[in-house]
Amino acid sequence: MLVSITGIKKFAVHDGDGIRTTVFFKGCTLKCKWCHNPETISFLPQIGYYSHKCILCGACADICENHKIIDGKHIFDRKNCTACKKCVKVCLPHALEFYGENADTDEIIKILFEDKEFYEASGGGITISGGECLMQPEACSVILKRMKNGGINTAVDTCGMVPFENIEKVIDYTDVFLYDIKAIDDSVHKKCTGSSNKIILQNLKKIDEYGKSIEIRIPFVPDYNDQEIEKIAYFISNLKNIVKIRILPYHDYAHSKYSAIDMQDTLPCKIPDFESIENAKKTFLKYGVLCPIL
Amino acid sequence: MKTFEKDRKFIENKYHKTDEPFNPYNRMAYHGWECDISTGKSDEEIKEGLRSLSKGEKSISHPEAKAKAVEYVLENIRIDVNEHDWFVGFYSLNRLICETTKNKWDEEVFKKIIPETGDKMAVFNESGAVAIWPDYDHVVPDWNSLLTLGFPGILKRAEEYRKKHEKAGDITDEMAAYFRGIEIEYKAIISIVDRLYRLALRKKHEKAAAIAACLKSLHDGAPKNIYEAMQLIYIYFIISESIDTYQVRSLGSGLDNTLYNFYIKDLKEGTFTRNEIKEFLAYFFMQWSAIGNYWGQPFYLGGTKENGDTKVNDLTYDILEVYDKLDIYNPKIQIKVSRNTPESFLNKVFNIIRKGHNSFVFCCEPGMIKAVMSYGATYEEALNMDIRGCYETGVRANEVVTTTGYVNALKAVEYALYDGYDKRIKKQIGIKTGDSGSFKTFEQFYFAVLQQWSYLIESSIEMANIYEKYLGYVSPSSMYSATIETSLEKGFDAYQGGVKFNNSSVLNCGFASLVDAVMAVKEFVFDKKEINLNELKKVLDSDWNGYETLRMKIKNSKRKYGNGDEQTDKYTQAMAEYFAMKVNNRPNARGGVYKAIMHSAMQFIWQGWKTSATPGGRKSGEEISKNASPAPGADKNGVTSLINSVLKIRPSIYPESFCLDLMLHPSAVSGEEGLGVMKSLLGVYMENGGMSLQMNVFDTETLRDAQKNPENYQNLQIRVCGWNVLWNNLSRAEQDAYIERCENIK
Repeated sequence: MLVSITGIKKFAVHDGDGIRTTVFFKGCTLKCKWCHNPETISFLPQIGYYSHKCILCGACADICENHKIIDGKHIFDRKNCTACKKCVKVCLPHALEFYGENADTDEIIKILFEDKEFYEASGGGITISGGECLMQPEACSVILKRMKNGGINTAVDTCGMVPFENIEKVIDYTDVFLYDIKAIDDSVHKKCTGSSNKIILQNLKKIDEYGKSIEIRIPFVPDYNDQEIEKIAYFISNLKNIVKIRILPYHDYAHSKYSAIDMQDTLPCKIPDFESIENAKKTFLKYGVLCPIL
Repeated sequence: MKTFEKDRKFIENKYHKTDEPFNPYNRMAYHGWECDISTGKSDEEIKEGLRSLSKGEKSISHPEAKAKAVEYVLENIRIDVNEHDWFVGFYSLNRLICETTKNKWDEEVFKKIIPETGDKMAVFNESGAVAIWPDYDHVVPDWNSLLTLGFPGILKRAEEYRKKHEKAGDITDEMAAYFRGIEIEYKAIISIVDRLYRLALRKKHEKAAAIAACLKSLHDGAPKNIYEAMQLIYIYFIISESIDTYQVRSLGSGLDNTLYNFYIKDLKEGTFTRNEIKEFLAYFFMQWSAIGNYWGQPFYLGGTKENGDTKVNDLTYDILEVYDKLDIYNPKIQIKVSRNTPESFLNKVFNIIRKGHNSFVFCCEPGMIKAVMSYGATYEEALNMDIRGCYETGVRANEVVTTTGYVNALKAVEYALYDGYDKRIKKQIGIKTGDSGSFKTFEQFYFAVLQQWSYLIESSIEMANIYEKYLGYVSPSSMYSATIETSLEKGFDAYQGGVKFNNSSVLNCGFASLVDAVMAVKEFVFDKKEINLNELKKVLDSDWNGYETLRMKIKNSKRKYGNGDEQTDKYTQAMAEYFAMKVNNRPNARGGVYKAIMHSAMQFIWQGWKTSATPGGRKSGEEISKNASPAPGADKNGVTSLINSVLKIRPSIYPESFCLDLMLHPSAVSGEEGLGVMKSLLGVYMENGGMSLQMNVFDTETLRDAQKNPENYQNLQIRVCGWNVLWNNLSRAEQDAYIERCENIK
């Protein structure tokens, strides 16, 4: 089965427990202002152009008229670009990158098995992430099932903004959900992500009722959702299967990715300070949340 | 540690002034602080004395002549017992005896006795194809004998063995000279301990009485407490390295275990408190930090007892704690690990490493035991092995291993392309394997590479087999041999067959670069036919000038060592075995065998200078790969792929040593979870037969270098939030910001 991905990352140590391999699916149902992987938002294939890596060799211009080198500058006309990938193949310094490879699940599965020993040694496994991986639920379930049968721990990293039936397709092959909560207040959520959080919170409750382990992940962005922590803590305190809470302090290292795919840069400016992160962690203790808070 | 902090500055300046220029590569060519000149002679005066000494003894044997030279230096060297130091001082670390002994005899051997071999070695060294010279730098004395017998006991034991041989009537002139050398040298050592003792008695400072008592004890017999034991190790070290000219490649046989009996006894009897012992350790370690040479002074910790328990003890923890507090890089520490190594201990080591300390290396017992047993050691001998030098193996107190030839694997490619001709020095060095331009198939090229490589390995062994007969002639190892009971029993110098395992080693240098070069030719010349060999030679002759596109294509190829590419891994495995099988267990000139090493010391830089552009995309003069590690920037698929690929080679077929270097970013190993990551990487490497593993955690300096040379850091990832990004995908401004923040963290 073919699936659209932006990449596979080995030795991923921050996408769940232990050493993991993470598959990034393309396409997302939310549009978070602080998104660090904007190339995973669109469901369509995209070409990224990193000007600081471009050596102006003109190889791309030779094979495609959408690329031009004019006055020592690389001009990329995206209007007529069909993301055919030819330019990426000839770009030796990797200034052009392709996002949205149609990868075969069998190939992905083969790669995921390569680091089995590291998963076992570290209590790690594989993670499917994105984008929103559960928008391609059949492929997810094919991969997760094979992993599970191979004795490998599986994690699904989701924003939750998907029909619950999509979750149902993977739930039995998933050991842990890495579940994002951005805000409880719906208007805040809309402001931050462009969508309501109703379905997200409903789905979270359903997964919890189903008895699946959940690691809650909270991007912590000053002036956006830092006032939401208390509410999130309260919400979580009523759930039964939360195994870990991870605060992800916002950093603004993604500007070059926005310009690479010619997308409007919505990244916030303010970075949280150490103290506010520690305070956020303490909030959970106040609400009697007993799982590890990282 | 209060007193130590006051004295630290003094010790830091003990061997060279910290505010003066210092060249760590200049072996021993530096001095102690100004000792009281009334305690002895200057270097020039001593050299003058040695010259007249050597004139009078034309017919004397080398062991005696050398021992007398050592004796003369010890009688005349300036010494100190300082109020700022628990350890004694010798004014000169210069190897003063060389001119009239070792250098003279070396010249005699290579210029007069075996001049053809000498000339051949010079040419191989010049070309950079094989770095080769006689090696006296890789042994560990029998610390157990030294510490249980003391200097007088070692002398007495040697005398007894001499008498035994005399009684048995098997003593030859050579053997008699060997024993005389030992006796002269140890009497001289005992005399200088006495001289130091008398100096201590004259001193009025706070430490003087205690130092005097220590020296008296070492003069009379074996050390009685942990301080005396450390003083003995130190005195042995300085005399052996700087005067007798034999490097001492480990302090103790596992410093934590060598000193443990003293530690327990001292604590039990109240001789010292634990804090006092830590204070001694601080002074002790600082001595090597102060010497500061580039090769670093090793010792190892941990290991496994014969009953299967760990050897990690309270002292192991104390040593680590003191070392961490000192924040120094020399000495360097090897950690013998196996499944039984306590997690709390490993975590302490990981913690120090991830602070950016790269002076630790893990030596995995399972793989290393297999390696040592492969050349005939018993399980017990292998279990109790010494870790020597960087991470080499050796049967404790019964193995002398010399490094002979550092074979530069990339030269095999160069010579296969140019029919054995070395472009840089304009000489025929390799054999004639034919005009590569006429090679029609990859098989022809590959075979030529192996033939050239084989020739370099064979030449290296051939040269060593000739000159290694003269090691004992050039530099009798009386001081070292006397510690080794097997040597005394046999009555032979330890370097002339006097131990059980009289081995030599041949080093496989630049191996990953060889794999990359061979795979590049396979892919681009023969599989894809983008260029033919004649054209490729032109490209290499131009040092890639004007062929940047081709170079980038080659550099981008997945067929690189250490990336989990199936085809590349097959050739990696095959070539690694090819080298090992040519070397291992071949007889050497000293009654032992050869051991293969996958380790390149400084040659990855030095031989790199002498190697012109090679097909893997390497430019002329650039580094070649080091140890079992990939070429700089060639591992693009993460550390797990790297470990998987490297372990396709069975490390134990490199019984002398096999070392992999891992590059890790601080963010990948931070927090509790980071400890788990480090442990798992080490665990998988160890469980699959890995031998030595070095973990390097990046600092901001490295990140700066990554900005300047992005191609060498294609795999460098940094953690920016809940995930990592490729360093090279960040813009300059983002990188700058990251570096700035990294600096803020510390």
